[in-house]
Amino acid sequence: MVIAEIKPFEEIKNLLKKYKKILVAGCGSCVTVCLSGGKKQVELLASALRTARKIESDDVVVGEMVIPRQCEPKFVDMIKDEAGKYEVILSMGCGAGVQEIAERIENIPVLPALNTTFIGMADEQGQYLEVCAACGDCILSMTGGICPVTRCAKSLINGPCGGSQGGLCEVSKDNPCVWQLIYDRLVKLNMLYLLKGISQPKTRSVHPRRMVREDLKLKKESTKGV
Amino acid sequence: MSISAMPPCQAACPIYTDVRGYVSAISRGDVETAIGIIRQVNPFPSVCGRICIRACESACRRGQIDEPIAIAALKRFAADQTKDLKSSFKRGPFYNEKVAVIGGGPSGLTAAHDLTLLGYNVTVFEAHKELGGMLSRGIPEYRLPKSAVKTDIDYILSMGIEVKTGMVLGRDFSIDELLKDYQAVFLALGSERSIFPKCKGIEMPGIITAVEFLKQVSEGHRPYLGESVVVVGGGHTAVDAARTCIRLGSHDVTVIYRRTVKEMPAGKGEVDEAEHEGVKFKFLTAPVEFIGNGRVEKVRCVKMQLSHSSGSKRQSFLPVKDSEFDINTDAVILAIGYNPKTDSIEEVEIISGKKGTIVVKDELGTTNIKGVFAGGDVVSGPQSVIHAIASGKKAADAIHRYLRNLPPKEIEEPVVLRPLDERIVSLIIKAVRQKMPMLPTEERIKSFKEVQLGFTWDQAILCAQRCLNCGAGAVISEDCAACFNCVLVCPYGVATAGEEKAQIDISQCQACGICASECPASAIDVKLETREVSRKKLKKAVETAKKEELKDFSINFYCQYEQPTGPSEKKKGTYTVGKPCMARVSVYQLIQPFEEGSKAVEIHKCGHKKDCRFKGCEKWIIEHIERAQKMLKDIGIDADSVKVIYEDDK
Repeated sequence: MVIAEIKPFEEIKNLLKKYKKILVAGCGSCVTVCLSGGKKQVELLASALRTARKIESDDVVVGEMVIPRQCEPKFVDMIKDEAGKYEVILSMGCGAGVQEIAERIENIPVLPALNTTFIGMADEQGQYLEVCAACGDCILSMTGGICPVTRCAKSLINGPCGGSQGGLCEVSKDNPCVWQLIYDRLVKLNMLYLLKGISQPKTRSVHPRRMVREDLKLKKESTKGV
Repeated sequence: MSISAMPPCQAACPIYTDVRGYVSAISRGDVETAIGIIRQVNPFPSVCGRICIRACESACRRGQIDEPIAIAALKRFAADQTKDLKSSFKRGPFYNEKVAVIGGGPSGLTAAHDLTLLGYNVTVFEAHKELGGMLSRGIPEYRLPKSAVKTDIDYILSMGIEVKTGMVLGRDFSIDELLKDYQAVFLALGSERSIFPKCKGIEMPGIITAVEFLKQVSEGHRPYLGESVVVVGGGHTAVDAARTCIRLGSHDVTVIYRRTVKEMPAGKGEVDEAEHEGVKFKFLTAPVEFIGNGRVEKVRCVKMQLSHSSGSKRQSFLPVKDSEFDINTDAVILAIGYNPKTDSIEEVEIISGKKGTIVVKDELGTTNIKGVFAGGDVVSGPQSVIHAIASGKKAADAIHRYLRNLPPKEIEEPVVLRPLDERIVSLIIKAVRQKMPMLPTEERIKSFKEVQLGFTWDQAILCAQRCLNCGAGAVISEDCAACFNCVLVCPYGVATAGEEKAQIDISQCQACGICASECPASAIDVKLETREVSRKKLKKAVETAKKEELKDFSINFYCQYEQPTGPSEKKKGTYTVGKPCMARVSVYQLIQPFEEGSKAVEIHKCGHKKDCRFKGCEKWIIEHIERAQKMLKDIGIDADSVKVIYEDDK
């Protein structure tokens, strides 16, 4: 899932300084799961904003809502009327969510309340780990299901550097050396031979990337007699 | 398990009383709500609070941990504390039809009560001078004071029910005559005719039926039967008669019962109380002959033993050969059972059963005469008061449906919460059951004063707080984002990951509410105190504060388990909100009052330094406080504006 964290409150407050009618919009998907942008966070942030403005004797209206998935145009379309009552939308979605809203609701500015950080997973409660760099050329089949592109500080794809010590990364001792993890896993799988293979260097993709599924695209005209 | 599954106490009650609901109200000191809940289904709370057979307590899941909740005693407490409360009931639309209820016992009066509420004109015909049936005539005052019966009956009559006493069916009127004026008739004649054992000498002077004996006592007579009395039987009436003899001055009172204490309908508790007062019990003993010279002098008995004959499932007891022995006595009281007395009814078309019971066609009490229904002991034979009440309720509903031409009620068996898993049982903190205060034995045996004195406020609240609120736990909505945070935080391990969403087994959930406060999607709510209720309480406190236009006010949360009726001293500018455990004060509730102008939010006197009700709640209280403090700091408010105040800190 997409991992995101809430921006410092001061930053959010400053972003919203000139607005009197603010809609805080959460997202019911990834950011709810990573405890950053679900209904509970929306309520807390909205309340905090109202209190902060009250202290400054600055009137404000803060609305609250949660969109099931902000990166889904149809869900975003559904909030258009409600959003029309506000001067600004503060999205508690990931970057995709913010942009989807901006794309669909053109006349109201959309501001991010979150910093979208990475594609990751929870490794314990309230702690998340980046595990996928979305490089576009997956080699997990050769590495025992552990991604060196993301989890090696140097993104080395053909074995470790010389700096790994006692199974820990030389760049940050808080992290295990991912090639050690890959090695251990392949031993368990009895598939060490995989390490003899060579992964080809990755071509750096040009942003923005686009994925097209020709097989699934809706055809403009139906083909008769097929 | 379905989230609407019934707590076992409620399912065990013949009238499905919302036990959890009223016990929970008492735990907050709210007896008015409690009695309201009870009265929704039961017009006899003072009576049932004293003499109910308490099927609910046998089913209570607290019994898996230590002892069941003293449910009946709590019902009595609610009834006693509210007996001066003005009645408030909503009657249904008024109908023109008149209904006659024959018999002013619990079944008849319950039917009259329910039918009046439904909107009918009801007249109760009672053969005796006094209403109440066996409640007034059959149960001694030390167990059920007349005042308690009167409280309930007065309440029922205050609804506007016509009563005609001294009217005997078959003597003063007939069913046919009634049917000319009344559109429906309910026969609740009771069952007061004693059964006699088939023994020689039964007609001898000195032998009296328990019904007759107790009736005399209830009328204010004080018959002294002699120094020694033998009571035959094992039911409540037998024990009642024996304990009454003690109070009337007989010193040698023996109850003989043909089975063992295990089979005794009166139950171990009552036997213990009676023994305490000096009553002797001879189990596995049956009378065979009453012997005397013009007056009973001894009872010839025979020893009984459990028959091991195969084939029959029910345990039967047979006499032991050559085991006869005599007990010398001055009098004998017979309490082996009763049959209804229906032979005086002229209407031959009413089908009667073998023992004088009225035969009904269905559960609703429909008889073979159109518009005539029957219920209570006259149909079932002698049963407990709660069964009589249940029967009266069914009859009222059946009569309403008959008169309004409605389809019969669909009867659904309730889905019941399953027992607690052993693992959960081991995680629940034990708490002893409150002992009912009793009249000292010396005083008891000299008078008919009520033996059980009733709980004090403190006892009632402590007792009610032991309720596990079965089935009032966490419920997950469609909004679940499947983050499974609840699975990580549940102190009881009840929340689990389902195939698509999180799952919480309502039968095992302890309603601590920690999952709800940690759910990022606000998809979990706790039935014990829903989010809506919880927020309303906070809103009310804040609104009161604002109305009083105080510049500086603060919100104090207090634990309802710690201070059930709220903090005793009220500080100026402080507004209090009770919660069922302080771990249920969410971060939002800690910071939201500042939005409204509160200067401080405190969690007061949380008991988590001592034994707390919920496992691990203290961790979450601290967690919430710290998160709220961080947020306040960000907002620009002193972080210490939110804190926990311990008792020792004061």
